[in-house]
Amino acid sequence: MDDLQVLGVICILGITCYAMRAGGYVLAASMRDDGIAARFLRLAPGNLFIAFIVGGCLSGGLAGLVGTMVALVTMAITAREWAALGAGFGAALAASMIGL
Amino acid sequence: MTTAGFRRGLVAALPFLVSNGAAGLVMGLTYKGLGLAAPQAVLFSLLVYSATAQAITLSMWAHPLPIFTMVVACIGTNSRYLLMGAHLRQLFGGLAPRKILLSLFLLADASWLMTSSDADRNGPDAGYLLGSSIPMAIGWVGGTALAYAVPVATNGSLKLAAALLPTMFIATLLPSQWKNARSPWPWLTSAVAALLVARFVDPGWSMLIGGGCGTLVSMLERKDG
Repeated sequence: MDDLQVLGVICILGITCYAMRAGGYVLAASMRDDGIAARFLRLAPGNLFIAFIVGGCLSGGLAGLVGTMVALVTMAITAREWAALGAGFGAALAASMIGL
Repeated sequence: MTTAGFRRGLVAALPFLVSNGAAGLVMGLTYKGLGLAAPQAVLFSLLVYSATAQAITLSMWAHPLPIFTMVVACIGTNSRYLLMGAHLRQLFGGLAPRKILLSLFLLADASWLMTSSDADRNGPDAGYLLGSSIPMAIGWVGGTALAYAVPVATNGSLKLAAALLPTMFIATLLPSQWKNARSPWPWLTSAVAALLVARFVDPGWSMLIGGGCGTLVSMLERKDG
């Protein structure tokens, strides 16, 4: 495959992805602070966190679910990210080793 | 945009050097298998910088390259960034666009989620977005380059770290988010909708549609926002 063509495709895809990243920020300038869209955006993060985690657990299988639950519980108890991630990854690794 | 926020984001996102590094390594090995040269693979990870967009365009790699289809696929898989960008405008609306447009180049799911959570705890700070984005980008691009630099093979624990760390990291943000929640119904709605979309439609849309459904329930149950 022609190197120049590959380079061109990479640049086109890069511009497309950046347009998506910056597009929302630029378009939101015309949004009213007290409008429905603004309220929706204020309430969105927590709900998107949950949906993100569900998707991640599904693709990670049972070991992923175990690891995520252990990380969540450890964080709720200790409030230490490093402890939560360590415990979560350890649990996921153990779960995958026993065939979950 | 403060230096303290930048430092806080940078330190908080350090674990992503490992997870994004491992995922970038897997992506680099795939590019290598496809016959892409090292500079092309690194440029791909740097400019496109999206695991979903890169994976989906990778699956379309053919001769001749289906450029239009690839662009449409990128728009479809990355449409969630429109929502994230609009939300960031709410947080950093007072900031000159030129100061944030560079950070948006490195915007990722995890850096947005972390920035939203940090804004709840410490107030909006665009420095946090930039700081948290840097380890993620270094991990991703560095991992891709590493696939060409050293003879490595992906093993079980490397794949597991790449797949699970982002999800586990976002899970650690939930306890702080729960303090703002009034009832479990929006989160339950998000979870069920995401599950159904991932199962029956497309996993790539589960975050956007699931989160959107849950947010609609949040809007119905409170008027203040």
